[in-house]
Amino acid sequence: MPTLIIDGKEISVQPGATIMEAARLLGVYIPHFCYHPQLSIAGNCRMCLVEVEKMPRPVVSCAMPVSEGMVVKTDSDMVRKGRQAVMEFLLINHPLDCPVCDQGGECTLQDLAMKYGPDRSRYHEHKRHERDYDLGPLLETEMNRCIHCTRCIRFTDEVAGAPEMGAVYRGDHMQVGPYTSRPLTSELTGNLAELCPVGALNNKPFHFQARGWELKNSDGICAHCAVGCHQRVDHLNNEVKRVMSRRCPEINQTWLCDKGRFAYDGLTRERLQQPMVRSEESNQLVPASWAVALDRAADLLKRFKPEEVAGLASESGQGAEELYAFQEFLRHVVGTPHLDHRLRQRDFSADEVPLTRADLSMNTPLSQLGKADVILLIGFEPRYETPLLNLRLRQATLAGARAFAVHPRQLQHNLANLTQLVVRPGDEVAFLDGLLQELGSSDGHRSALAEAWQKAKQPVLLLGNYAIHHPQAEAIRRCAVALLERVGALSTQWNGFNRVAGRGNAAAAQDLGVVPHRDPGYRRLERHGRNAQQILQGAANGEIRLLLLLGCDPSIEAVDTSLARTALAKSVVIYIGAQQTPAAEMAAVVLPGLANGERPATLTNLEGRAQRSDMAVMGPVQAKEDWRILRSLSDRFAKPLPYNTREALQARMAAADHRYALDGLEAGELSAACDHKPVTAGLPLATVATSKDGLLLVVEPPFFQDDAIARRSTILAQLTLGRSALGTLRINPEDAGKANIGDGQRVRMICGERNVECIASLDANVPAQVVFGDMGQRAALLQDLCDWDGGFPQVSLVGL
Amino acid sequence: MTKIVYKHIHLENSHTLAVYKSAGGYQALEKALTLSGDDIIDEVKRSGIRGRGGAGFPAGLKWSFIPKDDRAKYLVCNADEGEPGTCKDRDILRYVPHQLIEGMIIAGYAVRAERGYIYIRGEFYREAERVQAAIDEAYAAGYLGDNVMGRGVRFDLAVHRGGGAYVCGEETGLIESLEGKKGQPRLKPPFPANIGLYGGPTVINNVETLTSVPDIILNGGAWYSSLGVDKSTGTKVFAVSGHVNKPGNYEVELGIPLKVLLEEYAGGIRGGWDNLKGVIPGGASSPVLTKTVCETVTMDYDAISKAGSMLGSGAVIVLDRSVCIVRAIARLSRFYRHESCGQCSPCREGTGWLSQIMQRIEQGKGVREDIDLLLSVAGNIQGKTICALGDAAAMPVVGAIRAFREEFEYHVEHGRCMVA
Ligand SMILES: Cc1cc2nc3c(=O)[nH]c(=O)nc-3n(C[C@H](O)[C@H](O)[C@H](O)COP(=O)(O)O)c2cc1C
Ligand code: SF4
Ligand code: SF4
Ligand code: SF4
Ligand code: FES
Repeated sequence: MPTLIIDGKEISVQPGATIMEAARLLGVYIPHFCYHPQLSIAGNCRMCLVEVEKMPRPVVSCAMPVSEGMVVKTDSDMVRKGRQAVMEFLLINHPLDCPVCDQGGECTLQDLAMKYGPDRSRYHEHKRHERDYDLGPLLETEMNRCIHCTRCIRFTDEVAGAPEMGAVYRGDHMQVGPYTSRPLTSELTGNLAELCPVGALNNKPFHFQARGWELKNSDGICAHCAVGCHQRVDHLNNEVKRVMSRRCPEINQTWLCDKGRFAYDGLTRERLQQPMVRSEESNQLVPASWAVALDRAADLLKRFKPEEVAGLASESGQGAEELYAFQEFLRHVVGTPHLDHRLRQRDFSADEVPLTRADLSMNTPLSQLGKADVILLIGFEPRYETPLLNLRLRQATLAGARAFAVHPRQLQHNLANLTQLVVRPGDEVAFLDGLLQELGSSDGHRSALAEAWQKAKQPVLLLGNYAIHHPQAEAIRRCAVALLERVGALSTQWNGFNRVAGRGNAAAAQDLGVVPHRDPGYRRLERHGRNAQQILQGAANGEIRLLLLLGCDPSIEAVDTSLARTALAKSVVIYIGAQQTPAAEMAAVVLPGLANGERPATLTNLEGRAQRSDMAVMGPVQAKEDWRILRSLSDRFAKPLPYNTREALQARMAAADHRYALDGLEAGELSAACDHKPVTAGLPLATVATSKDGLLLVVEPPFFQDDAIARRSTILAQLTLGRSALGTLRINPEDAGKANIGDGQRVRMICGERNVECIASLDANVPAQVVFGDMGQRAALLQDLCDWDGGFPQVSLVGL
Repeated sequence: MTKIVYKHIHLENSHTLAVYKSAGGYQALEKALTLSGDDIIDEVKRSGIRGRGGAGFPAGLKWSFIPKDDRAKYLVCNADEGEPGTCKDRDILRYVPHQLIEGMIIAGYAVRAERGYIYIRGEFYREAERVQAAIDEAYAAGYLGDNVMGRGVRFDLAVHRGGGAYVCGEETGLIESLEGKKGQPRLKPPFPANIGLYGGPTVINNVETLTSVPDIILNGGAWYSSLGVDKSTGTKVFAVSGHVNKPGNYEVELGIPLKVLLEEYAGGIRGGWDNLKGVIPGGASSPVLTKTVCETVTMDYDAISKAGSMLGSGAVIVLDRSVCIVRAIARLSRFYRHESCGQCSPCREGTGWLSQIMQRIEQGKGVREDIDLLLSVAGNIQGKTICALGDAAAMPVVGAIRAFREEFEYHVEHGRCMVA
């Protein structure tokens, strides 16, 4: 380890480290524009000049590797003069329009100009004029301000894997911009506004909304997927103005995806403003006081036998506190065992085996994923389920890892080295079983996947949304465990088993027992309650009489939405939640809750890291924290919930599951990840079945619309995934041809008695004999065709 | 005087293999293949030859930096010849391409490179054809390919035509361009000897440097170093242009007095020696020398550098008294502004600034402060850029003001040239 001296302070660093990196370790700030710790070194701005003893010229610290005995001065005369020179060059063609620049007040150029810039210009020649670009709904450009640091270019090339930005022409005609006139396609575009050191690339929705210094900031955790990225929520006058990333090397490094950054404008839309009860005279929902509404809710709850009451909770919109209080209220205040959060799950057979947290979540920490050498994605489209997890996979593939995807269609991806294995829905278990056989046998020709898997030293396997919600999910999961066991990848040194439950706070719902077969802390129950499917079936056939909904709407989210609608219509519904939804409209009592960002919350990410998120803004005046609603409701029962403060609730939660013992942990501090038992191995594998014939329907959650807030965001509504418009039915062109269906045509999709109308869009990435549609589209609810037990529906199409 | 790179140039069809061989061509290669790579490097070190592309870095030393690991190594010939005033390599490419090829095979063998590229300036279309034809001949004759001269050595050679950017003559800009990217110089370190073309160790040399190699091997490094003067050994082609009676390429021993080069070889200054105003001795980026200096200076690396300029690529640009220095330098500044790759701030912004000030002064719109501003801006560029183009843009301006400040002052005061 070379030792060097920077400004009189000695430090030893890894060989190959740069002076800049050494200085950062020492806490010595060296001014810079082009350097970014997460990007390759460009060394082009020349601002980071330092003096190194025995070197005649100043050197750029971001690019110069350290050597033994170096003596570096970061603030000598030579250095100051050099920086002043560079600063002047950067400013001569800069418009200096700070007063009308969004970046003003938080601009590196402005800040460093204060320190090194001349107080008047010596430049009396023509100032350059650059053209601006339409980069889509997220970025506003003002390219006159560009200082050509190429951060944006390096980001799109290296990190986002969507090389759409570049520099054309040369010299002082050099222009940074997109290569084409189309908007950028990356799901990480918003980062460009944050990483541009000046006001050239700006956050468009934030454009002219506020000045940086007026904003108040809160430390948040993103709940729009389960990666749990660290955010800084900037707000003014109780309104979220923008969301920025907070650095967290273990999780999001310095990035956010566009969903996490721009969903915020959905926060205030379609909110429940006050408690409501259904009037007996008019049968309409009418505003009521909290006392009246709570009394009514309690009355209704008491009207039925406890076993006739069931609860369903959202896994994306609730904090751990809410989830904990919810299960405790149902189990111990009302006395019913029926509760669940798994509205999208089809296969509940795993509830019969004593699985632990390790079996249900990730075991390879995000920060280790980049070290994997073989990656197997099963029913997982990481780029559009968990974008920042995907970046780690991309890093691994850039470092040489091979990736394989087993999926019902071609994935949209930006991995460097991916082999796609398209498997017909229903044939997955057979496929994985075949792979296991290949691994077992010593003879003959092996597939590339088997070959790579056998040789892998640090393989990772990731089960995604499709695998988790598959009709044979448990059989797939067991195959996955067996595959890893075969290659010794379930050890404490390297555990490659990852079930990526990618939605919001799904991990907390599992941990805290919002399931019918376990108490908080993975304590199995003797007597299982009803699962999500059985609850809705029970409600539809009259065995369940009252549904308590916590922020979820089965009529949008459930596997079978026509069953869900019947269930809601036939039962008494008490709705606790933040947003207006069809389920709330059908409720007998509506109790307005708060959304993420409006209250502190504990959110558990997909690695199992419980994190505290701060409150940013206040919700509707009358709305209350959902756990407090449950607490108040419980006052009307014999055994009220035993906590009056969030802290007391958190203490109780921590006692039930030690992973929630985050005492003294501030928002933004990092808790431990993956505190797990070993993965359960050796469970019997299922017998292999084959897929159904005919045209099969797969319903997929649309990435930018997959939770209550994101679904209501008008910013996100402008984004597509580089595929057909939201709500269309994606069909292979040949299948469409055979059925005489054209692109954009209205079709009726029929499955047995049920049918739905929708718009077809032809998509060559879709394999033959499978069609794909979006979940939860009110205009065309494709889940209406899905019978819970029926697997993937076999459908026929008629052009209209 | 002894000639090396141009010694066969007068022969009819000197570019063909037959003529080159009959004049003794490829004998050096035959000899080289009996030696070890290190022996060859030692011989080249002993010759003292310095790179003829501009920087004058000792070639043998450069070769010895190539690590002896098992990565694929590359040899690149820099035939971009972009420095204004320089046209010496062109005649080698045109008339003795085999001598270059022979030099490259020897160099490749010495540093264990099995692949070579000749990066030719885009405008040298015919030259590229000539070189390609010579390469084809060399393949057919077994000098190139899997089994060079039946000795089990492998060397493949290919021509790559540039797109016409001066900065692609800078060695790492050239490498980027050769890899198919935008020609923007790389940060150093790492140097090409360690991480160069396609990430492999790479030797990159000028045409003239490599063309000198066969004679060094054949006659020995000691023989070569007996030519020229101390630390500037061997011969050098000077491309004399401007106001001389016989402009052209002259291969002479280094250390020759400039006055002898101009008066005896280049036919004298137009209008006689006293009509001389100054000489740019080493291509556009070298500061101009005044007549007084030209009287005595000798053409070797050290003497020119002591005189405050550079031997550079050996392009000698002669300016007589009819030349307006301000106009001449303004034109050069425009060149550098146009050719800056735009990557690093001081050069991207500074070359544009310099050029605009020079233009203004030239057009009679300058003010007195502009002269010191030029010096200050040029000084601010120097030593802070990624490649030497930034320095190259600054130096002629600084040199011209230093030598001919009164002409600049006249320009800003009178709004026109001092010369009629
Ligand atoms: C802007 C710039 C342009 C250059 N152009 C050329 C060129 O056209 N030909 C050349 O041989 N060297 C050129 N060089 C020098 C090369 O970078 C390099 O030093 C040379 O090719 C090394 O070969 P040598 O050691 O044989 O001289 C240029 C350097 C700079 C900074
Ligand atoms: S747009 Fe911004 S990030 Fe991109 S090169 Fe210009 S200043 Fe740098
Ligand atoms: S990756 Fe997930 S957690 Fe991170 S910003 Fe995007 S939606 Fe939020
Ligand atoms: S000095 Fe000029 S030519 Fe060289 S890298 Fe910098 S901008 Fe490009
Ligand atoms: S930060 Fe080092 S050159 Fe830009």
